[in-house]
Amino acid sequence: MSTTSERPAARTGAIGAGPRRVEGPAKVAGTAAYAYEYRAADAAYLAPVQATIARGRVAAVDTAAAEAAEGVLAVLWHGNAPRLRTDAELPGLQQPGELHVLQSAEVHYRGQPVAAVVAETFEAAQHAAALVTLTYEQLPHDAEFSAGRTDLATPKEDHRQGDVKAAEGEVVVDQTYTTPMQHNNPMEPHSTMARWDGEAITLHESTQGAHMVRETVAELLGLEQGRVRVVAPYVGGGFGSKGPLHAPTVLAVLGARAVPHRSVKLAATRRQMFSLVGYRSPTVQRVRLRADAQGRLSGIDVTATVQSARLGDFIEEAAGPAKSMYAAPNRRMGHRAARLDVPVPTWMRAPGECPGMFGPEVAMDELAVACGLDPIEARVRNEPERDPATGKPFSTRNLIACLREGADRFGWADRPAEPGARREGEWLVGTGVAASFYPVVPPVGGSRALVRHAGDGRYVVSLAAADIGTGAWTALTQVAADVLGVPLEHVEVRLGDSALPLASLAGGSTGMMSWGSTVHAAATAFRRLHGDDPAPGAEAAADLPEVAHRDDYAMHAYGAQFAEVRVNTDTGEIRVPRLLGVFAAGRIVNARTARSQFVGGMTMGLSMALHEESVLDARFGHVVNADFAEYHIAANADVADIQAHWIDEHDPLVNPLGAKGIGEIGIVGTAAAVANAAYHATGVRVRRVPLRLDDFLDAVGA
Amino acid sequence: MDFLSPDTWAGALAAKAARPEAVPVMGGTDVMVELNLGRRRPHALLDLTRVPELARWGAEDGYTRVGAGVSYTRLVERVGSRAPALAAAARSVASPQIRNRGSVGGNLGGASPAGDCHPPLLAAGALVELASAAGVRRVPASEFYLGPGRTVRREDELVAAVLVPEPRGPQVFAKVGPRNAMVIAVVSFALALDVAARRAGTGIGSAGPTPLRARAAEEFLAREFDWAGGADPSPEAARRFGDLVAGAARPIDDVRGSAAYRRHALAVLARRAWARCAAEVRGGGV
Ligand SMILES: Cc1cc2nc3c(=O)[nH]c(=O)nc-3n(C[C@H](O)[C@H](O)[C@H](O)COP(=O)(O)OP(=O)(O)OC[C@H]3O[C@@H](n4cnc5c(N)ncnc54)[C@H](O)[C@@H]3O)c2cc1C
Repeated sequence: MSTTSERPAARTGAIGAGPRRVEGPAKVAGTAAYAYEYRAADAAYLAPVQATIARGRVAAVDTAAAEAAEGVLAVLWHGNAPRLRTDAELPGLQQPGELHVLQSAEVHYRGQPVAAVVAETFEAAQHAAALVTLTYEQLPHDAEFSAGRTDLATPKEDHRQGDVKAAEGEVVVDQTYTTPMQHNNPMEPHSTMARWDGEAITLHESTQGAHMVRETVAELLGLEQGRVRVVAPYVGGGFGSKGPLHAPTVLAVLGARAVPHRSVKLAATRRQMFSLVGYRSPTVQRVRLRADAQGRLSGIDVTATVQSARLGDFIEEAAGPAKSMYAAPNRRMGHRAARLDVPVPTWMRAPGECPGMFGPEVAMDELAVACGLDPIEARVRNEPERDPATGKPFSTRNLIACLREGADRFGWADRPAEPGARREGEWLVGTGVAASFYPVVPPVGGSRALVRHAGDGRYVVSLAAADIGTGAWTALTQVAADVLGVPLEHVEVRLGDSALPLASLAGGSTGMMSWGSTVHAAATAFRRLHGDDPAPGAEAAADLPEVAHRDDYAMHAYGAQFAEVRVNTDTGEIRVPRLLGVFAAGRIVNARTARSQFVGGMTMGLSMALHEESVLDARFGHVVNADFAEYHIAANADVADIQAHWIDEHDPLVNPLGAKGIGEIGIVGTAAAVANAAYHATGVRVRRVPLRLDDFLDAVGA
Repeated sequence: MDFLSPDTWAGALAAKAARPEAVPVMGGTDVMVELNLGRRRPHALLDLTRVPELARWGAEDGYTRVGAGVSYTRLVERVGSRAPALAAAARSVASPQIRNRGSVGGNLGGASPAGDCHPPLLAAGALVELASAAGVRRVPASEFYLGPGRTVRREDELVAAVLVPEPRGPQVFAKVGPRNAMVIAVVSFALALDVAARRAGTGIGSAGPTPLRARAAEEFLAREFDWAGGADPSPEAARRFGDLVAGAARPIDDVRGSAAYRRHALAVLARRAWARCAAEVRGGGV
């Protein structure tokens, strides 16, 4: 176990610099292959057939026409699909019900795979899939999400401190805030190429964790882990949905078992991305704040109602962040879940924190207005000395520093206190702020890194980590180069293959904390064992170091997000010319890729504020805007000036590298900052995202 | 699926006569989306991209004739000033890639109430030329649309061209949506003035089952507009005009916007359109 008392010195300065992505040239030149792109002479293609009912049973399947179609290799349905071990214990993050594909006649959600065709070409598979005829015994379904339902479940006991009902103070904010269903849409859809050679299965997979896929597939098939290999060096974005497995991967595995010695390929279509790989639950957040006239909180009460599925429970923990953001003696945070006949929700960038910092951070703005306080001051007044949720000291908490530095950089000082005070021609202009927060999450799984001297002062560092576009290839190269004291070009990192040493999942923004710390430990061990002049072939490995003080401190990253919003006084059109974020997330290993993570998160937050919304038609149980023509995602023209900055935070307690996670915090709070700025521009308080043109009808003098 | 690909106009009309159910494809920016989404599986596609006549444009008896296959990009670059409102609408469609392929004929063939070509065609008093093996007819745009996706075009007919009267005054087009591009308009509006005849034409998009004209608003503007000097309308006149345009709409509440918002935004676009036309008259632009 290494000690974590001191921040290791950067020996070569590689840590903290901003080198370009080591895999950039390969990606730009198109030589970095993604899962679906591997050339296989024996490729076959799988097309799913999806249920057209939201609940019931498949009564009959007529596969004759599909089987007779040209190029068809297999038509699978629950009557003939290879059996999975449905009683196997899967890793905790998996949703077994979702993964038991084609194992029974039950239909649990609209769009569920109920059959699949494997064929010689993609077109032949698609065509034959359309020829499979299903007869259903339909049962009444329920896909109506609402906080007013009388059958809401309480998945976990509420978090309580003091007595929130007895909280005193003359200022009350009691409002309901909502965020919509949203769908993960990485550029690269979920894709798999699976090949079963009769003994072992190889998956080229678009995943956030090769080892996690290996373990899960091995369990489902009843194979030794050693007979499952998962290759995933390049992944075109994940945002969480590629953490847990979903039905498409299992379909490809079933296809490969059914058609051995063929490389069975499946890439979800954009439409299928809206039914097969999870989504972010909609949330309804009832937030009640009570404070004295000076804005000091005495009570915080947050109930988040979220959508879950009958097929498997997934709770979007939107009431979580309020547990530790601000001081207040009395508090209650709880979740209520509507379990519906819908696909199971999943992780989407900053699950819990992202929607859960919308309601409370708009509420804090409302509190500031009610108390006549500057919104930054309202937050400063409620700064806790210790973590309110646990009573532990913070390892570091630099929220106020972020707010202050952001205020300086953004030009907050000139801000008029009153809303609607700044008008430029047809446009009302306002500014807003919100806090951002993301915990230091314990890594999902262990990690081990191997450092080998290849001769000539060149080193190979391997572990199975997944770079889903975050910059891990580069940052891990930097960490190794720095500890080994060699130039970056002398380190070759190998990632993304279950044949390499175990690596934790790319999830919870833990990559740099776990893989970075592990590489740091392995490189340190290498120098300790082999000195500065090692023999070629010398090796050293190390496991993820324990964090000595994990249980003694509350560990979180913080940020402050500032937005400028313009609302057209005639039409209610909303534009966001400026976003600025300042983050305190421990040590920043690569300035370039870190900025890209922050700016990317903020862009996604802008997208949440103005565009993204999946519309579920409860009558049928499907998302109606399941394509990019109608599910809008912020594009270049929506983004003007987005700046991300960070403060130089030293936190030796979090891990040997002193790094906190940066992948998700950027999306947290952005939407609240935009909504708060829109209020400041117009005086209209919108408590729902995305903001719509109609929302400002009142302000525009209709 | 049969793929018919005639290379003459006569051949296209013959093919459509023989296979009336064949789905025409011009740019394919609507058809291919529908095929990809599995919304339809036609037995036959009738590719029109090889028919030279459809890609032509030119002057014809006081009209500008724009072949049904002229792409938006061409329309903007080449036809521009001869059909200003239509060109302005074309400029606002989608993205460069879609504008390179999408066509007026395809917009009319699909007849979505949100299609951007419809308001300018209505406002300018354009004619839609329909042709079949049996003959040719010209239908005023105001009589062309019947319902969402439905028009007077018979199954055996193709859209041959639109005929846009030579501009006789300022023309403007405007639309509103959550962002400036790559989004279906919440509402759109076109205004075309005939200064000599002191007449106005209007077109409303995305605010009813079909594109609509606001006839009462047209008459009101014709009376109130300062045809000689191009003075700005009085606030009362502008408001009244906006209200008349909004009143002609038959909007619904949907995920893109409420009916109330659509009416409001139409009134705004209408007032702005008046002001812009007045400024053009003042500036002697016509
Ligand atoms: C990303 C994207 C963005 C878009 N943005 C916009 C936008 O901003 N504004 C807008 O108005 N539209 C938009 N569209 C829709 C589309 O681009 C337009 O409707 C375009 O005008 C269609 O033209 P096309 O030549 O591609 O038609 P096609 O797809 O070839 O055909 C469209 C329809 O018309 C029929 N048709 C085609 N030619 C004829 C003919 N000569 N006679 C009879 N019927 C015919 C077809 O059978 C079909 O029903 C967008 C589409 C996409 C994919």
